[in-house]
Amino acid sequence: MTILTEVQRRLLRTILERGAEGASQALSRWLGEEVRLVLGEVEQIELEEAAEALGPPESLVAACRMGLVGPIGGSLLLCFEDHAGLALVDLLLHQPVGTTTEWGEVEQSAAMETTNIVGCAYLNALASHLPSSLGAGSSAMSTAGELAPTPPVFFHEFAGSLLQFALMDQAQELDRVLLVRTNFELGGDGAGLDWTLLFVPDAPSLAAMASALTDGNAS
Amino acid sequence: MAQESDASNVVSVAIGRWAVAASPSRLRTLLGSCVGVVLHDRAAKLGGLAHVVLPDSRGAVEHPGKYADTAIPALIAELEQAMRGKAAGRLVAKLAGGASMFQVGATSTTAPAAKNIGRMNQEAVEAILASLRIPILGRDLGGDGGRNLMFDPASGRVQIRSPGGGEREI
Repeated sequence: MTILTEVQRRLLRTILERGAEGASQALSRWLGEEVRLVLGEVEQIELEEAAEALGPPESLVAACRMGLVGPIGGSLLLCFEDHAGLALVDLLLHQPVGTTTEWGEVEQSAAMETTNIVGCAYLNALASHLPSSLGAGSSAMSTAGELAPTPPVFFHEFAGSLLQFALMDQAQELDRVLLVRTNFELGGDGAGLDWTLLFVPDAPSLAAMASALTDGNAS
Repeated sequence: MAQESDASNVVSVAIGRWAVAASPSRLRTLLGSCVGVVLHDRAAKLGGLAHVVLPDSRGAVEHPGKYADTAIPALIAELEQAMRGKAAGRLVAKLAGGASMFQVGATSTTAPAAKNIGRMNQEAVEAILASLRIPILGRDLGGDGGRNLMFDPASGRVQIRSPGGGEREI
């Protein structure tokens, strides 16, 4: 069973912070507004608690999921409460917030493109700082052996169901699961956005990361 | 942990847990690749719901509600306590869940081939119920989306709601 020590969690947090920094810059450029990604706790929690990471399980969320390919497998999920996701679309389409009221094809595309930008920037920064013993490449380009994302897929789903799907691989091996939550803040005043980025490694990757973080250091 | 909502007598069954309820209470859970196992004693208007996460405990004794082979016997044991008697011949079952939204375990260089956990859960639950001679009266299994399940022990009805708003009964 893979339970990260405090030292391993601290090292992983350092690496993921680089990912969040890279994603912050890319997202700010994309939206034309200053957006900051704020990393949450890196801890392993009971499955039951993890299943509520996006709020009440029966709440509907819009989410885009990118699979991870290479030295780390699992999922990167950008999740929005409905109103927040639709506000993102208005922001991108330069129209007043509240104009968009449902997830049509254009709206889903906008969410997926945003996920692509955030996810690739996050993974690029992550790949640059992963311990070399994980065999990570230096960029998230899709080449064998390097950390890369699969194309984003849009879901409109119950929060609890979405998390079940994302956590199932870890749940097969572990009683306590790791999902790292990143929140978004807008502009200088740090107003919160109801968007969440979830990094959910699969069980073998979690074991490999634990081993690499024991041997190596975050750069 | 089962949590009762005072407003509507609805008990929420969390992932990897089970609960028993009698009319007028109802049981609710949220399913993805997990399988919801509803067992009902029509005469007593009593029933239970297990939220099964994985097919096989492989001998693990902690978290019995997580696995099909330990959750179903645990649910039956609690139902028998509530019935004050043996469950044999008195219970019927309905099943929901076991979806597969995105494959896991297939993308990393460290992972084995992908498994369809939803399907494995379905098969395990059906095999266990068959071995216990509990008839399955309704199924809403598979697919690629979540399900919001509500069970009413008074009638045995199981309502399923999809994220898109569609509702059906099994």
